Amino acid sequence: MPTSATSNHPSRPEDLIGRLNSAHTPYEAKLKALRDLKNQIIGNRTKKLAFLKLGAVPSVVSILSSAAAAQGGGGDNREFYESVLIQSAAAIGSFACGLDAGVKAVLDAGAFPLLLSLISHLNEKVADAGARSLKLIYQSKRAPKYEFLQEKNMEFLLSLLNSKNENVTGLGANIITHSCQTTAEQQALSEAGVIKRLVSLLGGSINQKDASLESLAAMVKENPEVSAKFMGPENGRALNVVIELMKDKHPRTRLLACMCLISIRNTSTSYLQDSGIKNTLVSVLLELLDDPGPVGDEAPFVMSSLITGKEDMQKIAFNANLIEKLCEHLNVGSYQAKRLQGIFLVLGDLCSKLECCRDRVLDLQKLEVGARHSVLVSLLIILNKVLHFVTEALAHDSAEVRTAACNFLKNVSRSVKNLSAGQFMNEAVAVPLVQLLCDSSSSVQTLEAQTIYHVNQQILVLLLTLLKHLRTSGRIIGLAKSRFSHYCMSFDSAPTVESPLQLPFIHMIAALGAISNVVVDFMAHKSVLMQCGGVKQLVQLSKSMESAIRVNAVWALRNLTFLVNYRCKEEILLELTSATLISLINDPEPSVQAQALALVRNLVDGTLNSINYVFGEDGAVLHAIARQLRSTSKVEVQIQGMYALSNVASGNELHKEAVMNQLLRQAGNDAEKTLVKFLQSTDSQLRTATLWALINLTFPGSPGTCRRVTELRNAGIITQLKNMVNDHCLDVKLRARMALGQLMIFGDSSS
Amino acid sequence: MSLFFIVIRQLAEFQAMASSKKVITREEWEKRLSNVKVRKEDMNKLVMNFLVTEGYVEAAEKFRLESGTEPDIDLATITDRMAVKKAVQSGNVEDAIEKVNDLNPEILDTNPQLFFHLQQQRLIELIRNGKVEEALEFAQEELAPRGEENQGFLEELERTVALLAFEDVTNCPVGDLLDISQRLKTASEVNAAILTSQSHEKDPKLPSLLKMLIWAQNQLDEKATYPRINDLSTAALEDPAV
Repeated sequence: MPTSATSNHPSRPEDLIGRLNSAHTPYEAKLKALRDLKNQIIGNRTKKLAFLKLGAVPSVVSILSSAAAAQGGGGDNREFYESVLIQSAAAIGSFACGLDAGVKAVLDAGAFPLLLSLISHLNEKVADAGARSLKLIYQSKRAPKYEFLQEKNMEFLLSLLNSKNENVTGLGANIITHSCQTTAEQQALSEAGVIKRLVSLLGGSINQKDASLESLAAMVKENPEVSAKFMGPENGRALNVVIELMKDKHPRTRLLACMCLISIRNTSTSYLQDSGIKNTLVSVLLELLDDPGPVGDEAPFVMSSLITGKEDMQKIAFNANLIEKLCEHLNVGSYQAKRLQGIFLVLGDLCSKLECCRDRVLDLQKLEVGARHSVLVSLLIILNKVLHFVTEALAHDSAEVRTAACNFLKNVSRSVKNLSAGQFMNEAVAVPLVQLLCDSSSSVQTLEAQTIYHVNQQILVLLLTLLKHLRTSGRIIGLAKSRFSHYCMSFDSAPTVESPLQLPFIHMIAALGAISNVVVDFMAHKSVLMQCGGVKQLVQLSKSMESAIRVNAVWALRNLTFLVNYRCKEEILLELTSATLISLINDPEPSVQAQALALVRNLVDGTLNSINYVFGEDGAVLHAIARQLRSTSKVEVQIQGMYALSNVASGNELHKEAVMNQLLRQAGNDAEKTLVKFLQSTDSQLRTATLWALINLTFPGSPGTCRRVTELRNAGIITQLKNMVNDHCLDVKLRARMALGQLMIFGDSSS
Repeated sequence: MSLFFIVIRQLAEFQAMASSKKVITREEWEKRLSNVKVRKEDMNKLVMNFLVTEGYVEAAEKFRLESGTEPDIDLATITDRMAVKKAVQSGNVEDAIEKVNDLNPEILDTNPQLFFHLQQQRLIELIRNGKVEEALEFAQEELAPRGEENQGFLEELERTVALLAFEDVTNCPVGDLLDISQRLKTASEVNAAILTSQSHEKDPKLPSLLKMLIWAQNQLDEKATYPRINDLSTAALEDPAV
């Protein structure tokens, strides 16, 4: 019994698919089923997914394919077949619209070449349907890349752009927007005369204008040559046309005109630099932020491309009250992921350099919620909230939101003024941060690896920025401490990203006055991180496949271990295990090696207990350090390795002997060469580190010092040291004299 | 539209001249007006634009034949557009949706708000016709997922479903949804979306020209006394009250 679809009762998806697939369904009924399917899925994401799961796409594509074949053979049913072509192409297009899984299914089912063949169909409605569907496919990132560099493809593209059919020219433009990526492709398109054609489309209908602006932006992006050509005489007043379009009636056209001009602007420091254009760009985009639809979602991204890395533009945006506007939006809340991501992105840009921006953000939030740190808490609440969205697509989007939000948080937290007030490191911030770290790592299945990597990277950088604040306070303690001991602390700045924060001098003095308080504070901050499982997470991340993550994780651990008590170190060591530590020291990536050695350097700094740690398991860690030192050619690794050994050598007799063993006795002639080589290094830090090791090894008062001095003499160290007493680096000069002095105490017995 | 600027410029000139409130007599005014040349083609274009946008397809066709003004759009598409509009106005929303999809499947796929409003109108029609079961099922199956995607939709959906809670719907707080004006609102939203998809302005130019006229007269009022147009339907000049 056939199921009849009443007007208000759509047929069940299973029945529809059954009718589409069945060989017994009459053609007319199939056409009706096809149209039913199309009308059910258009605008309805849920239905699209449901039909996708039932395998509707291959069924529709096969109907399209057979209709295309049948009408190719001629016959009386031309009109009928054309209807089938139109309906099936439209259904395919709808599956591809706004749904990446749909695009994939459509491409997998082989719809692409079929749709392409429809474009040249004599019936314009069929051509329209084919072009529309292809256009929708090309709006997705998953669309296949169009190879412009093949001559035939370029010809075909030009034929699309020159078509009279608006959907077909639109498709041509969409292809450029999607696939034009490399300089060579931009060049090839420009040489083929595409710019001229696009410029002429700027005078066309609204849709053509928009499509043309978007393609032009893709063609000039980061390409000064094509930019210059666009601005050149042969394209006449094209630039003025685009400038005028910034004031167009249609928001989307205004947005795309801005995007195009920014693309041009960013290719050269001399284009579009007058203050008129700058102010117009900012004010047009500012207004577009209020658009409730997709234009408003995209506006922040365009704004970001305008101001990122450009202090002058950030200043203009700041003066135009962009921060107020964004915070207003943020406080309204209930935005979709993309809008949130964009808002955080722009806030992040604004706060990347200008202190006035950071200040304004924090002040606004203070007014809004009453307490200054609430902005962070509310931010983290948003971060966490987004994290808990369940569907796959949202999880993907939200990861980007989190990244943008973290980046913003990172930039805001650079605020010296607010940092010095100690706003940023408290449990309210630390706990959710570590939580984020856990959550993103455990949801590997739902998130793309790349995104995870990115999110974690951001969180790590953020954590480290927070830690660095502590390091600056720690530096003061270090200064005081170095007056009493020969330890060499790890004071050098972090290896990557940005320069460390400096507390204003006046704060340093105040801090010095209250050193003991700072120490307490310092410890408290770090233990907050530890208590909420930060160490465990960082250790996990130090085993990541991604070397950049390993570097950052080890770097964070290294900062954590800086000047903490033995209990904390023990906790870290327990989590880390010496096996992991050794494999990190032997990591293929030199930057990881250096961080791992710096971590050891901090671990063994302080009590004898800590130094004993590297003696566990037959001195395996010490052995690994020395081996790496002998084999590496990277100065950064050598420096950290030497400092690590030097800290070990500051321990008791047993420790000193072990270091001596590793440095001199174990590797025979090689080792001698190593020591001398390091002392002759052009890098003053390495020279200093090596000198510290020598100083600690020959520290008077240890029973074996005399023997070690003799051995070092025999290795030709004295001569080397004598060459260094007038080193141009003050630090080296002083250490060299100190070492020489200690060596001399034991007399010239051999000479 | 050159006509705009001619009028505006003329008015601006008066404005510049009038340092204190100047009196312009009817003769002087008419002389000046007759100096303004408006091209007949431009006038015709304005009329055609109005007929096309508002969907008066037969009048547009006649006007095309009589004046030789070519519409900037295929007149056949007006018929389709009007059919959609009419379907919504008479409560056949499903029919309207199918027609829009035949016209251009992109419209509803890329315009979630419009799609939601059409579905909402469908629900309203079901409730109007007393099909409670069906209405509930439809709200659950079709509309609830949209509400999940968008907070604003959810609120509108809740308001619509509230219709079911009242015995006397004509006299309830959400009764306006059943009003004919709701249909007209939805119909004009569809109409605008179709026009936009055809790269056509969604509003005719004529009303904006009138708005501009009123604005310009208001500006001028501060500087001069002149024969004003008060009745827009006749555009009669009224003698300045001295």
